[in-house]
Amino acid sequence: MEFKLEAHRIVSISLGKIYSARGQRGGLKLHKNLLVSLVLRSARQVYLSEPGCPPEPPPAACGPPEDEPPPCTTAWAAGEAPPPQDEAGRGGPRLPGADCEGPRPRRCCCGCSCCCAAAGGEANRADCAAAAEAAAPPPPHCPRKRSAGERGQAGSPVKKPRREVEEEPPPGEQEDMETGNVASLISIFGSSFSGLLSKEPKGRRRAPLDGGEATVATTPTDAAAEPGQICCDEPVLRTLNPWSTAIVAF
Amino acid sequence: MAGVAGGGGGGGSNDFQWCFSQVKGAIDEDVAEADIISTVEFNYSGDLLATGDKGGRVVIFQREQESKSRPHSRGEYNVYSTFQSHEPEFDYLKSLEIEEKINKIRWLPQQNAAHFLLSTNDKTIKLWKISERDKRAEGYNLKDEDGRLRDPFRITALRVPILKPMDLMVEASPRRIFANAHTYHINSISVNSDHETYLSADDLRINLWHLEITDRSFNIVDIKPANMEELTEVITAAEFHPHHCNVFVYSSSKGTIRLCDMRSSALCDRHSKFFEEPEDPSSRSFFSEIISSISDVKFSHSGRYMMTRDYLSVKVWDLNMENRPVETYQVHEYLRSKLCSLYENDCIFDKFECCWNGSDSAIMTGSYNNFFRMFDRSTRRDVTLEASRESSKPRAVLKPRKVCTGGKRKKDEISVDSLDFNKKILHTAWHPMENIIAVAATNNLYIFQDKIN
Repeated sequence: MEFKLEAHRIVSISLGKIYSARGQRGGLKLHKNLLVSLVLRSARQVYLSEPGCPPEPPPAACGPPEDEPPPCTTAWAAGEAPPPQDEAGRGGPRLPGADCEGPRPRRCCCGCSCCCAAAGGEANRADCAAAAEAAAPPPPHCPRKRSAGERGQAGSPVKKPRREVEEEPPPGEQEDMETGNVASLISIFGSSFSGLLSKEPKGRRRAPLDGGEATVATTPTDAAAEPGQICCDEPVLRTLNPWSTAIVAF
Repeated sequence: MAGVAGGGGGGGSNDFQWCFSQVKGAIDEDVAEADIISTVEFNYSGDLLATGDKGGRVVIFQREQESKSRPHSRGEYNVYSTFQSHEPEFDYLKSLEIEEKINKIRWLPQQNAAHFLLSTNDKTIKLWKISERDKRAEGYNLKDEDGRLRDPFRITALRVPILKPMDLMVEASPRRIFANAHTYHINSISVNSDHETYLSADDLRINLWHLEITDRSFNIVDIKPANMEELTEVITAAEFHPHHCNVFVYSSSKGTIRLCDMRSSALCDRHSKFFEEPEDPSSRSFFSEIISSISDVKFSHSGRYMMTRDYLSVKVWDLNMENRPVETYQVHEYLRSKLCSLYENDCIFDKFECCWNGSDSAIMTGSYNNFFRMFDRSTRRDVTLEASRESSKPRAVLKPRKVCTGGKRKKDEISVDSLDFNKKILHTAWHPMENIIAVAATNNLYIFQDKIN
């Protein structure tokens, strides 16, 4: 179980590094980002392969339980049309081993790395959306993830950020600790980096669709695409904006 | 250990006592980022010592001639020339700033009175000529002493200009600029033993240049995959063999080294030798890949061995044996249990360099807390020394330091948790013939010498 917690922590730290690398002077460092993505992949694999789930955390930790699909899609809505919402209300396919996303939506903070990353595709977002719907207490990792992401929200409770997001759709502010966005971000990194790199909203949406084929086995290689492409093929700044809502969570 | 070239391998780095000689740089606690030293390199004779910093400046120190009148200031290094090598640039196409930080400096062998060096930032390599001027001509016919042109009709007599001595002036001028050949960040340059060509390496490609030609370079290694999503490793360092002008090596982020022979094919994507040590499965962790990434590779002066530095160790490889190194030295094994914290604070990405002494009998590399480590290859003894202002009295002998890894901390030991990870020694250089070392500690350059004489 400690491995799972540590793995999750490492995932958060890694995502934070990738995000903060975008603003770095001199452009993205391919080497460092490749290493970070390798660590991210290892940690995620450990997280996915670890059986069981962390115990139920206290309810107040992460925000109101009445989440709906909008949180999940807010990230997408920032720059493009949101993915199909028809599945949002229904439970999507559950993944083996990802038993923590059922009645515990906040589990999506980390839990989505299970359901989103492994299956890829829209089903994932549906999953996390559905999971986010159900009333449940958040995981204990949320505060830690926030601090790892250095969003400067030291003492503010997660409740507030979540409500902010719901009331103020894109672009979310720094306070946005949206699990849905986190889930989206993890799913992006999990399924394919190509979506992250493309300038067009279409490209971004393509990522989850492509990711439908991507299994856990292929995501490791996908993960490596991001640093290289950002470094040389796409102006980093152009891709950053629409993702700010999702990435801001970190 | 012999300090003089050709003196054999007797003795070890511990038989000597390293003494403080000089320290260059501001004493201020507040360090300006631009002043952080990013590379240190002696020239072939050891008389010149060049440093590059994050602000794009190069400072060259010259060793004073030893004089009988001041025997104790044996060969001090004083500033010889300072110039701005690179400026920050902006790539408009990619909306990226190009840092002016000097990544590497490499000297060219001296061929005339002037000195030449290559300095590089992330994208552009420059060849600088450093020349002295200690005479100036006086008595021109066509212009006045202050340079104003004289009216030719006023000249009634001709005179021959005379050379008169003047205060020594050292001028640095950029003779060649090798630009636009690297998409990724340049991490290495290496001058070939033919003294005509050099290589430059970035994350995915290695280019071969001729020193006289700036508008063309040959790409000799390209590991960029057709689909960037398949990228699994990058080039981290590259170096030409010191004697065989057709041989070079490059290291990777996966802890492997490839030796290539340019005679075998124009594009050296296929290596001639592949050096890799099998991973120890018992030490596997999330960070195994990161700590196996090689940060520096250096051939021995003899050309028979090469040394690689990864995060926790230094390895010496025999070029004739590819399946494992012949020697492995632990630099700071006590950090293995702290890898997660070091990942968090980014220290795990620090790129330490390593260097050989002139006779290849000892190697040196840096660590944290301003510690640096020396390993004697013959006696297998090692020592940890510190570059600090406290032990910077002239000719003060450096006291060996020790890190307490557990249990009761002895007096004078320092515990792992007390180490200052902001004080890192990434760049060190060893005089090619004598026991003089230059150690860069953030914005300060320390010079140490052995106690003999």
